[in-house]
Order: sequence, then structure tokens, then C-alpha cells
Amino acid sequence: MAVQNWENDLHVDSTASQHAAFRSDLQQQVRAAPSWFRGRQGRRLREMLLAYSFLAPAFLIIGLFGLFPLAFAAYESTLRGLNKIVGSYDGLGNYVKAVDNLIYILTFWIAIGLAYFAVTTIARAVREHRQENTNAMRWVLPAIVTATGAALFARFVFVLLPEMLLIPSKLRGQNNTQEAFRGLVVETWWLPKVQIALWVAIILLAGGAAWAMRVNRSVARDSRDPIYFVPFFSAGISLISGGALIWLTWNEINAAYAEALEEGVGLELWSQIVTISAGFLLLLLAWRLWESAGHRTSNTGMAVRLVSAVALMAGAWVLIAELPRVVSAGDEDWWNGLMATVFYVMGTVPIQLGLALILAALLFQKIRGQTLFRVLYFLPYVAPFVGTAAVFRIIFSNRPTAPLNSMLDLFGADPLLWLGEPSGIIEMITGGRIDLGPILSGPSLALVAIMIYGIWTYVGFDTVIFLAGLGAIPNELYEVADIDGAGGWAQFRHVTLPLLSPTIYFLSLYAVIGTFKAFNHIFVLRQAAALGTTDTASIVIFQAFKRDTRYGYASALAILLLLIIMVITLVNNRIASRRVFYG
Amino acid sequence: MASGAVGVSRVRTRLADPAVRRVAITQAIIYFILIVGAAVSILPFLYTVSVSLMNLTEATGGRALPTTPQWNNYVEAWHDAQFSLYFMNSVKITLISVGGALVFCALAAYAFAQMEFPGKTFLFTLLLSTLMLPEAITWVPNFITVSWLGRISPVPWLNNWPSLTIPFMASAFGIFLLRQFFQQIPQELWDSAQIDGSGHLRYLIKVVLPLSSAAVMTLVLFGFVGAWNALAWPILVTTTPDWRPISYGLLSFLDEAGALLHLQMAGAIITMLPIVVLYFFTQRHFIEGIATTGLKG
Repeated sequence: MAVQNWENDLHVDSTASQHAAFRSDLQQQVRAAPSWFRGRQGRRLREMLLAYSFLAPAFLIIGLFGLFPLAFAAYESTLRGLNKIVGSYDGLGNYVKAVDNLIYILTFWIAIGLAYFAVTTIARAVREHRQENTNAMRWVLPAIVTATGAALFARFVFVLLPEMLLIPSKLRGQNNTQEAFRGLVVETWWLPKVQIALWVAIILLAGGAAWAMRVNRSVARDSRDPIYFVPFFSAGISLISGGALIWLTWNEINAAYAEALEEGVGLELWSQIVTISAGFLLLLLAWRLWESAGHRTSNTGMAVRLVSAVALMAGAWVLIAELPRVVSAGDEDWWNGLMATVFYVMGTVPIQLGLALILAALLFQKIRGQTLFRVLYFLPYVAPFVGTAAVFRIIFSNRPTAPLNSMLDLFGADPLLWLGEPSGIIEMITGGRIDLGPILSGPSLALVAIMIYGIWTYVGFDTVIFLAGLGAIPNELYEVADIDGAGGWAQFRHVTLPLLSPTIYFLSLYAVIGTFKAFNHIFVLRQAAALGTTDTASIVIFQAFKRDTRYGYASALAILLLLIIMVITLVNNRIASRRVFYG
Repeated sequence: MASGAVGVSRVRTRLADPAVRRVAITQAIIYFILIVGAAVSILPFLYTVSVSLMNLTEATGGRALPTTPQWNNYVEAWHDAQFSLYFMNSVKITLISVGGALVFCALAAYAFAQMEFPGKTFLFTLLLSTLMLPEAITWVPNFITVSWLGRISPVPWLNNWPSLTIPFMASAFGIFLLRQFFQQIPQELWDSAQIDGSGHLRYLIKVVLPLSSAAVMTLVLFGFVGAWNALAWPILVTTTPDWRPISYGLLSFLDEAGALLHLQMAGAIITMLPIVVLYFFTQRHFIEGIATTGLKG
């Protein structure tokens, strides 16, 4: 009933606005509109409010369960404590436990990256401002005010969160009723420091936004200037967060030094920071030089390549000398989890995409029963994975009569442990005579079995998307290639592959990120006998949370995983912007 | 009889031509590869069906086919694993979360596709960036949020439907999918709807949604599959079987059933059957939905 009324209101509303719009066009020349809620301006305002109310429910849910967790996890990751939601503040302690001193280097370089981003954004705006004589500078102040407001809002979250999280422990011992809990929630909300933090943030945000809107209106009237709000706003945000990060790191490093002094041990933190940073810088430099060598004439090009090769070797040498020491000081489970994840990505993504490309290219040749093949290939992807994983548990079982082992028996080979085999495959192939170390001995056979399951699931999905990509390539191109006398392979190499590159790019990014997130099927397929060699990053995080109830530590690991995924996306985007051909 | 012989000889004479023969051989190779691929895709399913109909000695003895199908295995698995409870749980969870997702995603997608408001690009980018977040980062915060919300709301959230459905009632994927379809609706329709005096909400319900039934169908199907597959989150927020969904139910049954492979496989079939049947009836929507969102993503 309420919905019906609302609908009627809207109905009446918009008919009224129709007439009003008609009249207001006439009226505007005679006199200004009497109210700011009527006329063209008013209609725009009403549409805006309606749009926000359409967005509100979805954004409330996504905000609470999709975006807010980021801030929450960041806060939680700075807390110590076992089996406790709110522990004592521990700074970067959880991160140090996971990756040792590498975290200081990470935060330092993230802060540098944020500052670099801010400076380049501002510089670009200023350059455009000079060249095209636009009026960019009037956006600076409103953008900075809004950015400060946003940062203060984040601070408000960090003021409110700890207070709210303390409520359950405040109630311990008292009568723990829902009313008492609600009462404390209301009380916490009205705490002066919470209210002050909230209102300062809101006033700055609203003031900045209103100011920006005013600037926007005055700009729109006299020129067609682009809006410079976003670059200045994002530059402001990244400067503020970079500064906060540097401040945190600085305090943490000092605290670590003080602690070491008390215990009477030296700390090689700075030397580690410098050497590892230098190693990475050299690698970056080598890469840039190598890229630039392509643009030069052959002799200088050779020289530049030589220099870059030297830089590369130097950087790699520094890192090889220093990194293992950091790694060995961190959490072994976490590093093993990352290594398993990398093995998993390298072992599944190329094979899965290659197989899918072959199948899609063949299916595309006007095959009879194309639909049937497509339906069958896609089946492993849609079927509930706990069910299919249960089957693979039996197929890869260590019983001598299990399907794969009886097949081995046909060839006269001994049965294998499959999902319960912790030793690496390369180690198994070489017969374990040479000690290869954890990386060179390769993924464990158990992980390989899980990889096979992963490939089996995703090939059909990739094939379907490749087929859609192939269908989007205009047929004329093949006709032209035919006239030019290009054979089947040449057509594939010079027409299909370049035009398919956006699809390949999308799928590889999707697959890499997907495998970094992979949890469900690995959780079903992992066995205790595999000694944790199948535990990828997500599994390690889940175990830290569910089994060990270390809330803060699990959050810290999750944030590290997010950082890795972000770096992969950035690198992938950079490569794609050069290599991908958007025809 | 005679015509068959003529046909065969005609094929033979055509195959004598080397060009035709080469084409025929390529075709044969292509079909061979495709059929091998299809076989690899479906053999595990056939094997599941086969084992689920064996008795215990056959299942552990490594046979390929049962001597006499033991249909009773399904009844036994259904009772042992409390599948009737898990089944109903998953159906209820699916209905609530997909229903909510449909309403909220359609409203948001419509605003992004059809309306003008400040901050549109910013909000859309923000929305799409949530696709990059690993699920792992939401586990700890959302668990705490949900248990906290359960203390202040009239119904508890843990071990209850809100924690299993409300977080999934809006997703960047759903909004993106619907927006792609809403954008393709010609602008003239909105113009004429306005002349008829229709507001945005009425236009959305009466015109846009019926025209995008394919997208709505895709969203419903994916919501269904997602709810059926949910595992990590249900493990975190359910400690009793009261609201445990079917994937978690099957997983605990797999651990309980231990060496009873035939019952494990019967349970797997029971879990997979609804989705697989649904897929065979609506495979066009599934595949086209994947293809359109995938390509433009």
C-alpha cells in the first residue's frame, strides 16, 4: 500500500513538473523562479534526490559489508590479542609477525607512491591550467576542504569503532540483556568526542561539497572548463593518507629501536630497509632502461641494454642476499601460503587459458553440435563445487583401487598418495636424491591435484568467454585475409590473436585475481596428510581466524593479500595499456 | 539398400580427391579433440552417478559400474545427512537473498543507467572497485559486525537468516549486469513515458524491468548458484545446523560418512542435481549472461 502511494505521488509529481517545466521556460525570461524547488533547477534537484534514494539501500549494504570492512580490517590489524575482538594496541606488530621488517619497507614505499601520485596529478592539472588558460586553481581550496573532511570522517570511524567494540566487555559481569546493550550503544553514540569527530567531519565535507558546487555553477556559466575537483581531491586524500602512514611507520620504527635498546640487542632495521629498497630500485631502473632501449638507434640501444642488464644483476644480487633473511624471520605458514598461491597461479592460469583458446577456436569453425559442446564444457563451472570436489577427492584418493591409482596400476606403476602427498613434484621426479629446497622442488603433488581440479572447473568458463570474443571479430577481416592469401594459422596469428587480446587480458586478470582469492575448493580438497603444502593465502587467513581465533593477525594477513592483488592489478593494467589492441 | 551403397561409393570417390580428403581429416581431428574435451568435462559426473548406485564393496573395490543399482543409497544419504533440513535452509536463504538483490540492484542499476546526479562516476568506480576485494578481507570485520548487529536488532544474526542473506542482497556484479542491459533500452521510451506522465519508479517497474527479463533471469540464476555454493561465510556464522546451507551440510556429511563412498556420492548428486537441472533448462541465460558481463568487464 505504501509503495502504491509513493508511486502515485511520483506520478502526480512528475506530471506537475512537466507543466512547471513548460511554464518555467517562459517565466524565466520574465522573472526569476520563485522557489528553488521548482523550475528546471528544481527538477534537477528532485531527480538527484530520487537517484540517491534509489542508490541508498544497495550502497548501505555494500558500504557496510563491502567497503567498511576495509577500514575495520585496517583497525583490527593493529590490535594484539588471542580470542579477543578488542585487544591492546600493537601498531604494526601483527605485520611484523607475518613478514618481519619487510612491512616497514612496504609502508614507506606505499607512502612514497601516494605522494608521487599526488604530485603528478597536481602537476598535470597545473600544466593544463597554464597551457589552455583554464581556471583550474579555483578548485584547489574546495577540493582540499572536502579531502580533509573525508579524512576526518575516516578518523571518526576510528574513534567510534573502538568505543562500540568495547561494549560487550563493559557488560561482562553485569546483567547482560539486550536492553542494557542497546542503552550502552546509544550512550556511546552520544559521547562528546564521538559527536565532535562526527560533526567536524560532516561540516567540512558538506562545506567543501557546497563550495565545489558553487564553483561548478560559476564555471558552467562563463566557459567550458573541465572540472578539476577530482584530481585535486584524490591528490589531497593520497597526501593525507601517505602522511599518516609515514607518521605511523616512524613511530613504529622508533618503538622497535627503543625495545631493542632495552633488551640490549642491536637492530639492523635501517640497513635492511636501505638494501632492500636499493635492490628494488635497481630492478625498476633496469626495467625502465630496457623499455627505453627499444626507442633508440642500435648502438646506443645496445649500450643502454648493457647498463640495464648490469643494474638488473646488481639489484637481483642485493635482493637474493637480503630477502631470505627477512623471509626466514617472518611467519613460515604465511610465506608457504604465498608460495603455494604463486605455484597455483603459474600452474593453472596459462594451461587453463591455452586449453580454452584451443577449444574455442575449434568450436568456432562452424561445428555441428556447437551448442551441445558449449553446454557440456560449461557444466563443471556451474555444478556446485562441493559436489564436484567430493568426486575429485575419490578420483585422487590414495587407495590402490581408486580410479587414478588403478590406471597407474595398468601401466605397472606404484600407487601414489595424490591429495595426501606433501613432497614437491620436481623432487618426486628426480627421486629425492638431490635436496632442492622449498622453491625448486615445486608444488606438492597434492597441490598439483588441486590445480587439475581448478583447470577442469574453469576451462569451460574461459571457453565461453573466448567464444563471445571470437564472435565479436568482424567477418570482413577474415575475408580480406583470405584474399591476401593468408592461411589458417596466419589468420589466427595476425587477425584473431590481436583482436582477441582484450578478452585474453580480461581473462588472465580475472583468473589471476580469482586464484589469489581461491578458497572454497581448496578448503574441501585439502587433507591433513599434505602437511599444509596445499594451503594458499586465503586458507592461511581462514585458519588464523577460525582455528586460532587471532582476529588481529588474520586481518593483517588479509590486508597484505589485498596489497598483493592491488599490485598485480596495477602491473597488469600497465602491461595491458601497451600490449592490448582495442580494435 | 541400393541407395546406401551408392552413397558410400559417392563418399569414397569424393574422398579420393586429396583436397576433400584433407578437409575431412582436419574435420575428424577437430571433432576428436572436441569430443575428448567434452568427455573430460562430463566423465566425473558419470562416475559420481555410477558410484552412488554401488554398494560399499563395489565402491571401494574400484569398479566402474554397479552390478545392480542400489537406489536405496539416495534414501539413506538423504536421512543420514539431514538433507531435508539443509535443502530447505538453502531454498529459504536463496529466496530471501535473491529477492532482496533483485529489488536493490534494480533500483541502483536504474539510477546509474537512466538518472543524472553529482558523483555518478565516482560512486560507480567505487562500486566496481569492490569487485577487486578478496573475500578474505571481509571475514573478520563482517563476523564482528554481524554479531554486533545481532545484539541491537530484534532478531539475532548469528545462526539465523539475516547473517546469511542480508550481506548478499546487493552486489557490484548484479548492479553492473543490470546497468549494462538498462542502458541498451532506447531513450525514446523514456521520453514517451514522461509524456504519459510516468515517473522514474513506474517506468522502471512497468517498462524497464519487463524489457530486461533476460538480465533479471541471469541475476536470479547467479544468485541461486551463489547461495547454493556459499561455504566460507556459512562456516563462520553458523555453529548449529538450524540454518546451515546445503554446501556446508554436504561438507560435514563427507567428513562424517568417512569411508562410505557410495553414500558420499549419493549426497554429492543430491546437492548437485537442482543446479544441474536448472542449468540444462536455462543454459542460454547462464552462458549469455557470463559472456556479456565478462566481455565488457
